[in-house]
Amino acid sequence: MLALSRVGLSSSRSLTTSFFKPVLIRGIKTIPQPPGHIVGTVNDAYIAPKPSKTHGSYHWTSERFVSVGLVPLVLTPLFTGTSTLLDSSLSALLLYHVYAGFQSCIIDYIPKRVYGSIHNYAMWLLTFGTGVAGYGLYEIETKEGGIASVISKVWKA
Amino acid sequence: MFRNLLRSNSFAPVVRSSARTLATEASVPARLKTFQIYRWSPDTPEIEPKMQSYEVDLNKCGPMVLDAILKIKNEQDSTLTFRRSCREGICGSCAMNIGGTNTLACLCRIDTDTNKDLKIYPLPHMFIVRDLVPDLTHFYKQYKSIQPYLQRETHPADGRENLQSIEDRAKLDGLYECILCACCSTSCPSYWWNQQEYLGPAVLMQAYRWLIDSRDEAGKLRREMLQNSMSLYRCHTIMNCSRTCPKGLNPGKAIAEIKKQLAFD
Repeated sequence: MLALSRVGLSSSRSLTTSFFKPVLIRGIKTIPQPPGHIVGTVNDAYIAPKPSKTHGSYHWTSERFVSVGLVPLVLTPLFTGTSTLLDSSLSALLLYHVYAGFQSCIIDYIPKRVYGSIHNYAMWLLTFGTGVAGYGLYEIETKEGGIASVISKVWKA
Repeated sequence: MFRNLLRSNSFAPVVRSSARTLATEASVPARLKTFQIYRWSPDTPEIEPKMQSYEVDLNKCGPMVLDAILKIKNEQDSTLTFRRSCREGICGSCAMNIGGTNTLACLCRIDTDTNKDLKIYPLPHMFIVRDLVPDLTHFYKQYKSIQPYLQRETHPADGRENLQSIEDRAKLDGLYECILCACCSTSCPSYWWNQQEYLGPAVLMQAYRWLIDSRDEAGKLRREMLQNSMSLYRCHTIMNCSRTCPKGLNPGKAIAEIKKQLAFD
């Protein structure tokens, strides 16, 4: 009763804000979060997700290896020209690098905790996109002579 | 009393009185600085949060921002709410966003340029209890989850202290000084987006503090807890944490060291 009698609580503020929300977001149902992010009582410790090295240190370490490995692979063609082996390993590492980067974006901005299945759809979309990109890279490698030559063609054009 | 004694003194009264008027407060022009402070009260949830301006004469106020807001609370508006305790950067209570930077109000000097307003907000992206008081419950729950206490299977044979070499003790320098003010965690964009699951720089630095403590024997469990995509690896080395730390610590480096440990685990 107290809450209802307060001035302004019965106003249609929530209606107007939902109207002004971008059309894309309006249709998306998110999972309601507990007040104050508090799961359990205030005295319970936060419970971490299940330990999994593939999502933890292996993932991180492989990302680092790929990033470091990309540096010489990008620099070598500039000085010595390229070969199919060099070029295909460059494109493979680049593909994984971009995949891991977008994966991080999805985990950050479309978290499973809030978006549920939409998070999974985004991950599948990313995997699909990576597959398409991988096929495109394969086509480039076999028909156009590798991405290094494509870039040099575009550079000269 | 002392002034009256001086006035009644007969030594060169003219010189003395002129010197005294120069030193008195009335002759100095007031340096009015405007403080804009974030206000919101849970008693009136229908009123949106707003910035309220207060003018403080810097000549009659201590040098730190905490002095100014205490002065405002004492003299102008007693409803202004904030946490403070030690006023010397030891307790970490008065962490707030001052002039766009998370810092302790007691360690932050007031910018003496009176043309510019000073804006004071609570720590960003936290639930607000009232005015400048953020809800740190979840932050403390996260701190609890890393088990910030010594864990051992074996105990020293003489039944006394767990001894540590000087070199091992030196590894804890730059880590144990953390006062858990939450300035670094709340400055981290990753923590803003995913604080439900990402532990944040302050808690991770304490996790590292216990990982490298030579007396602690629970390292395996401590590392296992961080082996997932959320708790630790949401850190993208943005480094706001190290830039903002009011105690000059480096949580970013501690997190990098944990990642290194886990990579070789």
